[in-house]
Formats: sequence, structure tokens, C-alpha cells
Amino acid sequence: MLVQALIKPNTYFDSVSLMSLSTKANQIEEVDQAIIAMGTEMNKEVMKNVGLLTPEVEGAGASDLIIVVKAATDELCEIAFKKINDLFTKKNSGKKGKNDLKYSTISSAAVSNPEANLAIIAVNGAYAAREAKKALENDLHVMIFSDNVSIEDEIELKKLAHEKGLFMMGPDCGTAIIGNTALCFANAVRKGNIGIVGASGTGSQEVSVRIHEFGYGISQLIGTGGRDLKEEVGGIMMLDGIQALEDDEETKVIVVVSKPPASSVEEKVLAKIKTCKKPVVVWFVGGNEEKITEAGAHFAKMSKEAALKAVLLAGADESKLNKRALNIPLIEEVRTKLTPEQKYVRGLFSGGTLADEAMHAAMEKFDNVYSNIQRNPEYRLKDRYTSQEHTFIDFGDDEYTQGKPHPMIDPSTRLERFIQEAKDPSVGVIVMDFVIGYGAHEDPVGAFLPAIIEAKQQAEQEGRHLEVIGYVLGTDLDPQNYEEQINKLLAADVTHASSMQNAGLLAREFVVKGE
Amino acid sequence: MANTISGDADFIKGINNSLFTGVVHSTFNRTFNIKCFENEDLYTIACSKLDNGPNTLIIDVDNMKPLEIEVNDPVRVEKNLLYIGEKLTISSDKAYKWESILPTYPSNVVILKRNLMKMKEYINIHGVGGGIKKNVIPQSPFEAEVSNMLEKRTLLLLNELLNNRISSALPHAVSLVGLGPGLTPSGDDFLTGLFTIINMKNSPFYLYRSFCRDILMKAKTLTNDISYMTLKKASIGKVRESIISLVNSLLIENDEDLILSLNKLLNIGSTSGTDIALGIVFGMEANIRAGGKVC
Repeated sequence: MLVQALIKPNTYFDSVSLMSLSTKANQIEEVDQAIIAMGTEMNKEVMKNVGLLTPEVEGAGASDLIIVVKAATDELCEIAFKKINDLFTKKNSGKKGKNDLKYSTISSAAVSNPEANLAIIAVNGAYAAREAKKALENDLHVMIFSDNVSIEDEIELKKLAHEKGLFMMGPDCGTAIIGNTALCFANAVRKGNIGIVGASGTGSQEVSVRIHEFGYGISQLIGTGGRDLKEEVGGIMMLDGIQALEDDEETKVIVVVSKPPASSVEEKVLAKIKTCKKPVVVWFVGGNEEKITEAGAHFAKMSKEAALKAVLLAGADESKLNKRALNIPLIEEVRTKLTPEQKYVRGLFSGGTLADEAMHAAMEKFDNVYSNIQRNPEYRLKDRYTSQEHTFIDFGDDEYTQGKPHPMIDPSTRLERFIQEAKDPSVGVIVMDFVIGYGAHEDPVGAFLPAIIEAKQQAEQEGRHLEVIGYVLGTDLDPQNYEEQINKLLAADVTHASSMQNAGLLAREFVVKGE
Repeated sequence: MANTISGDADFIKGINNSLFTGVVHSTFNRTFNIKCFENEDLYTIACSKLDNGPNTLIIDVDNMKPLEIEVNDPVRVEKNLLYIGEKLTISSDKAYKWESILPTYPSNVVILKRNLMKMKEYINIHGVGGGIKKNVIPQSPFEAEVSNMLEKRTLLLLNELLNNRISSALPHAVSLVGLGPGLTPSGDDFLTGLFTIINMKNSPFYLYRSFCRDILMKAKTLTNDISYMTLKKASIGKVRESIISLVNSLLIENDEDLILSLNKLLNIGSTSGTDIALGIVFGMEANIRAGGKVC
């Protein structure tokens, strides 16, 4: 590798531009590494430490801008400099597009963009309700990404939205796809005729990507926020969402996704479904089949099943679908690799509903399933840092995210836990989700790869086989490279599950003894 | 002709006394800097959306770019008007005169402690990583090394300050100057925050204000002119309005006010706002932990 430097004397760019240029320079194909920085003595010291100091850099002054490029050949360095130079030229002559506009208030944004009809609120929870109210008063649909909004505020906002015929998605609503545009955490999926109303973010994402994989698409994905089906809120948004999809000409089939609702709310939702003129598939994680079928809805026990029923109702030919059956020989093979002591599954999840689905799969076979999201207090983890027998953790739960970004963005807490679990000789299988798509980490598998490789090698040296199952929630259209994520898992000898449903079922089956 | 909405009282005084000639030093979309021949200081002319600051005039212009002001354009004052070549004339007749005044360090630190905790939590979530706040996954080995060096050096600095070893704290503070890729390097921004707190009257470290001056003496060749100017002013407690607002918010019990002030600061530059905020946290924590011991 060659290191070359270019010095621009007395050149100043504001910090935002400089960092943005630096990020873009590092994305240039020919570049192994690029640095754009002011030529201070301390920055020269840093460059020396990382092996990028050149005589030109040494001679630069504190008010000079230095550009350092590391590339394979002289020619590639030259191409890179030219491309970086273009970035500077573009920066200087570039006109800001409409997307770059910033507004200080919702009212000013609404006035300046009369065609806009939706506001996403992602401010500190203490102020989210106030901003949402302003948006509703400006006749905008609202999606509140923020959490820590009081339930009283949620009820008031949802009632106001309902009266005005607007959506009030959230609070703590992380996923929606409206008019084929993914909002917050969502995946790039095909446009189609299946509508989703979801009180669970990753649950809705999972159903949408499975529908995409089956070759169908999404008309709208309406998020309600996780508390919508609680007694106090009464499912206001879920009911309005179902009605909206019933009224929507593009929607032929509706899928309803949620954790089990409060029973009074469940009654209301099922009553609504009973009168719905379109077919409805209901996936309530751990839900009651009898009540759902009585309401005339199509019951789904798991996520893939929900997607499958939806596409069949939308007209898919079942014989032509690849349903990706469980790999039975693989189950047999892994069982023989695990020692009798390796009895337990540890599920480490960034998605709450993904954790819930895998946990429910395990609960069908085992009694001793612990979790931080267990509804049965007896099986709630006593100490969130210590696993018990079969343990499934939702790292997106508040107790793990205090003062930290969500694990779909920041893998650090989950990564530490993975290393800890991998050392436990009673663990046979570790199952994890890797969520890609808009808003998610740019390389979630890559962040775990060194730890996975080391953990498997360590286990091998200790005479045991550590089975790791990885599930990549995403599509071939997502901004990250879906195939590359899977290939990275396979290269590290990780079992790749094609859906969350399969991941949960494989994990539990791998550790079954004596069947 | 552009009108000054508000401006640094001393800067306006200089213009009114016709004691100002210079040349345009650097230009950006929303600001440009003038190098003053009389005292070699930099002065800033900023657009209407920006906050007040030392040596700064806020004028009723939204964007500087259409004015086509260029480096080396001559600057002069005639009859209380500031002329930037023939391209722009600035009047300060009706300007609100702003002064950078820091609040006094409180005798009771209960509210301050509580607010600092909230501020740290908020920065943890909303602050921009890559400078003093580490990114979990650095974008390059350069960024990783900068963050490591910043972390080590700030810890060494804190350790010396808390042990009242001001002279041995000096090299650690100086080793932060110019550290970071940006126009105002992260190390400089952090020191700006720290200088702010040291300059609060009645703070345990107030008696050691000369520490800031000593760092500044070494800083001249270690960083660029623009960042040096910010440090120079901060070393005597002169900082921009958004920093003062945040320090004021830290002393009162009002969460909404605290978060609004903090958001305003965090929005400065790329990592600059976060780096300054962490310098403030660092300085306040040092003051709290030093308590009455240092004074």
C-alpha cells in the first residue's frame, strides 16, 4: 500500500463540511484509507501513530488542510486525489437541494411545504407530545419515534388524531412504510397489495421482508406504537389503521401484528376485523387461535406463517413458493456435535418481537425459558447480566438502552454479552438477529464477526462445539448488502437461518436431547 | 447595506471609534472572518441565525455566499460604517450590544450535580461521536487513534487537576491543542468548555485562571488561527452565547430549559458542540470533586 499526501495551504472548511468530505473520501472505491484534517502538530502525531505520516504532512502548518490517501498503487492514489478534489469542487459549487432544508418549527416546515402531510417526531420524550400536538394541529399525520411519552399524552394525541382523521403512529414507533417510503427503522420492500398494521416494530419488519421474499409487496405498513393495544389506549390506532387499509384501494389483504393485546382491546380489534370486508391475517405473538378464527380472521402462530397466509390470500400459487423448510439433517448433525452438558439456548436480540418469537418457540418445548421480556414473572431474569438456563434477551428493552443507542445501531452491549455466553460450557446454541435496512447499523454482522470467530475457536480448544445461528432481517433492496451479510456469517461457520421463525425453531431443536 | 442585529459590545465600540482596519481572513457560507491589523485578532461577521459570540457581529443576512466576499478583500471603517471592500457595508447603529458574561459558580451544588447527570445521559444518547465522545465503531484508524489520544490525555489532565498539581496538568492540556481533524479540533473545543468553567467566579478553580493563559501561550503554533482565536477568548471567559446559556441552565432546576440549551450547543459544527459540552461537564465535575479543597 502507498501513502500519498496533498497539502492545501491556509484552507479552511467548517467542521461539518470537513467531516462530510472525509466520510465521502473514505467511500471512494480506490481508497483504502483517506484522511482530511487540519495539519496541526497533534494530528501529525496521530498520523505517525497510524503509519500515515509523509514528508509533505510533516511540513504542513496548523492552518493548512492535509489530505492523505492510502491506496494500492500510485495510479490509484492519483485517481483518488482527483475524486477527492471533485468532492471539494462540488462542495464549493453545490446548490442545496430541498432535502437539505432545515426548519426551526413544525409550523414553519408545514407552511413552507404545503404538500407535506406527515411529521416524524424524534425529540426528547419530554417534548415529543407538545411537538406532535403542533403537527396534528397543522393537519399532519404523525409518527412519534421518541419514547418516554406519558400514556395520558398518548391517549390525548390519539383521540385528537382520530377526530381529525389523521394517523398518530407511536409513541415509540420505530417502523412504518407509507406510500412505499420506509420511515425510521424499516426495510426496502417491493410495493404491493398487502397492508400491515403493527404494534411491534421488528415484528412488522419481519412480516414485510418475508412477504417481499415470497415475491409480493406492501401497500402500507402502519405502526401503532407498542402501547396502543393496552387497556388504557384501547387500540385507537390499530382500529383506525385497519379501517384505513380497508378503505385503501391498493390493499387486498391486511396483516395485523402485535404482542397479545389486553383482552378488552382484543375484543374490540377482533370485532372490527369481523366486519372487515377484506381478508385479515392476525399474528399476535403467543395469541389465541380460537378467538381469532372465531372472528373470521386467519390465525398465524409465527411470522413466516403470517406472511405466507397473506401472500396466498393475495393470490400466490403455493406450489411455486419456496417456503424454506427446516433443515432436518442439519438438526441431527448439530445435536451430535453438542455434548450432553450443552443443554441451553441463549438468544441475544436487537429486535423485541424477534426475541419474543424465538422465546415462544423455545417455550413450546421447554419450561425453563427465562427472559427480560417474559410475561410470567417467575421466569423473568433475576439479574439482567446473568443468564439462567434457556435465556432470551431483548437488548432493545429500556433496561439495556439507558444512556445508549438502540442495539440496532450500537452493537456494544450485545457484543459483550455474546462473548460472556460463548464461554459458558452449558450453552449449546447462541441465536442472534442482525437487522439491516434504513436506520440500522451499516454492517451488523461485520461488527460481530471477530468475536464469533474467536469464540468458536476458543470453544473448539476447550473440546466443545459452539453452535451460532444468525438471522439477517433484510432484503436484497436494502441499503446494506444483504448477500454480503449472509456470506460473512457463512464464512465464520455460522448457521444462517432464512427467517426468524426458522431461527427460533432451529435453536430449540439443536439442544433437544434424546429424541 | 446590512444592519447589525446584535454584536459584541467591544467590537461595536471599536467600529464607532473608527479603530478598525483589516482584511478578510476566511469565508464560509454563514460567516466570514476578518483579520484586524490593529491587534491581529480575528473578528467574525455572522448570518442572522447564528448566536452571539466574542468579536462577532450578527447581521441581517441569511447567507454570505451571494455577497461573493473573498479572502484578502480589504476591510475599513468610515463614519461608523464597516466596509468589506466595495461588496458590503455594515451599519451597527441600531445593534443590540451583547456582552459575554458567565454566571457565578453556585455555593450549593445540589441542582448542578443533578443537571450534570442529566446532561451526561443526554450527551451519551444525542451527542456526536468521533471526537471526545468515542464512536463505538470508529470510521477509520485515524479516528480511533484520535479518540484514544483524547481519552488518555483528558484523563491525565483530570487526574492532575484534582490532585491540585496545576503545573503538571499543563503539558496534558497542551497535548490536546490541535488534536482532531476539524477546523476547530476536538481537543480545542474541549478546552473551550473547560476554560469556560474555570472562568466562573467563585469556582474552586477560579484562582487558577492563569492555567488557561499558560495553555494559550503554547497554543499559538499548535492550532489554526480560527480555533486559536476561540481559545484566546475562552481563556478569559469570553465564549459564545449558546455556551453561556447552557452554563446558566445547569444552575437552575428546569429540565426543559436544560435540554433546549444543550440541543443548541450540540448542534454546533460536526463534533464541536459535543466536544465543548464534554469540556463543560469535565470542568464542572472537576470543580465539584475539588470542592473547597483547591481554593
